[in-house]
Amino acid sequence: MTATTARVGDPGTPTVLARAAGAEWLRLRTVRTSWWCLLAATVTVVGIGVVMAFDAENVTATGELPPAPAAGEFGIMLGQFALLVLVLLAVTQEYASGAITPTLQWTPRRGVLLAARLGVPVAAATAAGVLLALVADIAAWFIADLPFSPGEVAGSLGRIAAVLAAGGVLAVGVGLLLRSTAGALATVFLLQLVLPFLLPAFGVEWMADLGELLPGTGAIWTLLGEPDMTALQAGALLVGWAAAALAAGGWSLLRRDAG
Amino acid sequence: MIEVRGLTKTYGAVRAVDDLTFDVRPGAVTGFLGPNGAGKSTTMRMVLGLDRPTSGSALVGGRPFPRLGEPLRAAGALLDAQAVHPGRSGRDHLRVAARTQGLPLRRVDEVIEQVGLGPAARRRVKGYSLGMRQRLGIAGALLGDPAVLLFDEPMNGLDLDGVRWVRRLVRDLAGEGRTVLLSSHLMSEMEQTADHLVIIGRGRLIADAPIAEVMRGGHARRRVRVRTPATDDLAGALLRRRLGVHPTDDGDLLVEGATAETVGDVALEVGAAVHGLAEEHSSLEQVYLDLTGDSVQYRVGDAPELVQR
Repeated sequence: MTATTARVGDPGTPTVLARAAGAEWLRLRTVRTSWWCLLAATVTVVGIGVVMAFDAENVTATGELPPAPAAGEFGIMLGQFALLVLVLLAVTQEYASGAITPTLQWTPRRGVLLAARLGVPVAAATAAGVLLALVADIAAWFIADLPFSPGEVAGSLGRIAAVLAAGGVLAVGVGLLLRSTAGALATVFLLQLVLPFLLPAFGVEWMADLGELLPGTGAIWTLLGEPDMTALQAGALLVGWAAAALAAGGWSLLRRDAG
Repeated sequence: MIEVRGLTKTYGAVRAVDDLTFDVRPGAVTGFLGPNGAGKSTTMRMVLGLDRPTSGSALVGGRPFPRLGEPLRAAGALLDAQAVHPGRSGRDHLRVAARTQGLPLRRVDEVIEQVGLGPAARRRVKGYSLGMRQRLGIAGALLGDPAVLLFDEPMNGLDLDGVRWVRRLVRDLAGEGRTVLLSSHLMSEMEQTADHLVIIGRGRLIADAPIAEVMRGGHARRRVRVRTPATDDLAGALLRRRLGVHPTDDGDLLVEGATAETVGDVALEVGAAVHGLAEEHSSLEQVYLDLTGDSVQYRVGDAPELVQR
C-alpha cells in the first residue's frame, strides 16, 4: 500500500480537520486560563467603554460627543491583550508542559494541526472581542446617550475583528516559532503595544518612522484613526505582519522536531 | 507490527540513532533496552513522527504514522507521562484525545476504569503523582484500542503494585495479539516481562533476538567460582584441561565454561581442599552489561548480579 492511498475506513482530510478543530475548542474550554483571560478582557473592554461613556465630553478636544463605537474601540485597544494572551497560551503552554507530544500523536498531520490551532483560538478570541465591543458600545449608548448608528457600529466591529484576527495570527505565529510563553508574550507586547506608542514619543524622526512599520501601529490606526496613514498602509501592516509570523510559525510546526 | 529501516538521527556531529533496522512483531512483548542516552526515546519519537529522521524510515502497521487520520486506532504510546497540560483534568485530557479520533465519550470512561484512575480523573493533572500520570498516559495509549503499543519507561514512578499491574497489562496486551514495544532500564523487569529483546547502545543495534537466546547465546557465560587454599595447584590443573581461569581480587578462582562437577573432580585429583564452590549464571543484567560494555556513555560502576545454585 502506498502512502497516498487511504485505507478503507480512514477518514478524509475534512473529517480529520473537523475533529482536530473540535479538539482545539475543547482544549480552550477545559483550562481555567482561558476563562481568566476572557474575564480580564470583559473587565477591560466593557470597563473602559463604560468609563469613557461617563467621561464622554472630555474624550474629544472639541468637547463634541464621540459616537458610541468609540467605547468599544478604546476598550479593545487595551483589552485585546487579554485576548491575545488567550490565543498565545493555547500555543505556547503545550511547549511549556510538553503536551505538544501527545497532541502530535493524536494529530500527527501537522498541516491539519496548524489549521486547527490557527483557526479555532483566533476565531474564538475575535468573536469574543467583537461581542465585548458591542456590549461596550451599547453600554455607552445607554449611559451617556452617545450617538449610536447601526451602520457605524457594524463598521467599527468589522475593524475590531480585523485587528483581533491579525493580532491573533501574529500571536500564534510567534508562539509556534519561539515555543516559549515568556519570549512570545514579550515579542507580541512589544510589537503590538509598547513600541508603537513608545517610539514616536521620543520625538526622533527615525524612531517615529520605525514605529510606523510595526503591526501595532496598523492596529492603533484601525481602531483610533491615528497616526496619519492610509487604510492601505494600515491594512498592509496588519496583513503583512500576520502573514510573516504565520509563515515562520508554520515552518516551525511543520518542519522542526515536535519540541 | 513496527518496521524500522535504517533509522538515523544526527544532532550536529552526534549520531543519536545510527542506522537502526529491526522489526517489532505482534503477539509478543519486545523489550527495548539500552543505557541512558542510547537513543531509545529518540527512536520511539521518530517511529511516531514526532522527530524527523535524518535518514531511514519507520512504518506502523505498514504505514507511516504521521500520515494517519486516526492514528490512535493504529498505535497508542506513552512516551513521557509528565507531558500533560497541568491545568486540565485527566478526563478532559482524554476527552480531547477522543475528540481527535472520533471516539465516543464512553470509551474515555472505559479506559479510566481500566487503568484504575477512578474519581481522580476529574481532578486537575497538576495534583497527580507520577504514578497517576503514568496511568493517565497508559489510558491515552489504550484509548483507540490500537494494534501497536509503545511504552517508554512505563514503570517509572510506580510502586510495586503498579509495576506488577503494568507487567500484567503488557503481557495481556501481547496475549491479545498486539505488538508491544516496551523500553526500560530495569533489566530485571525485562527478564520478567519481555519475550524478545532489541538492545541498542550509542544509537546502534547490539542485539535483536528472543530473550532466551540472548540469555544463553554466545554472550551469556557459565562459570564456576571456587575457593581453595591451594590456588596455584588447582589453577595449573585446570589450565592443563584448557579451561580459562581468572583469579579474583578476594583470592578465589573463576573458571570459565566449566561446571561445578568438573572443577570439584579436578580439585579432588590434585588434592586441593575446596572451601567454596558455586556456579554463576549470567543474569540478563550481566549479559546486558557485557553487550553494552563498549557502548555505555555514562557508567557508574559494575554491579554484577550473581545467581547462585
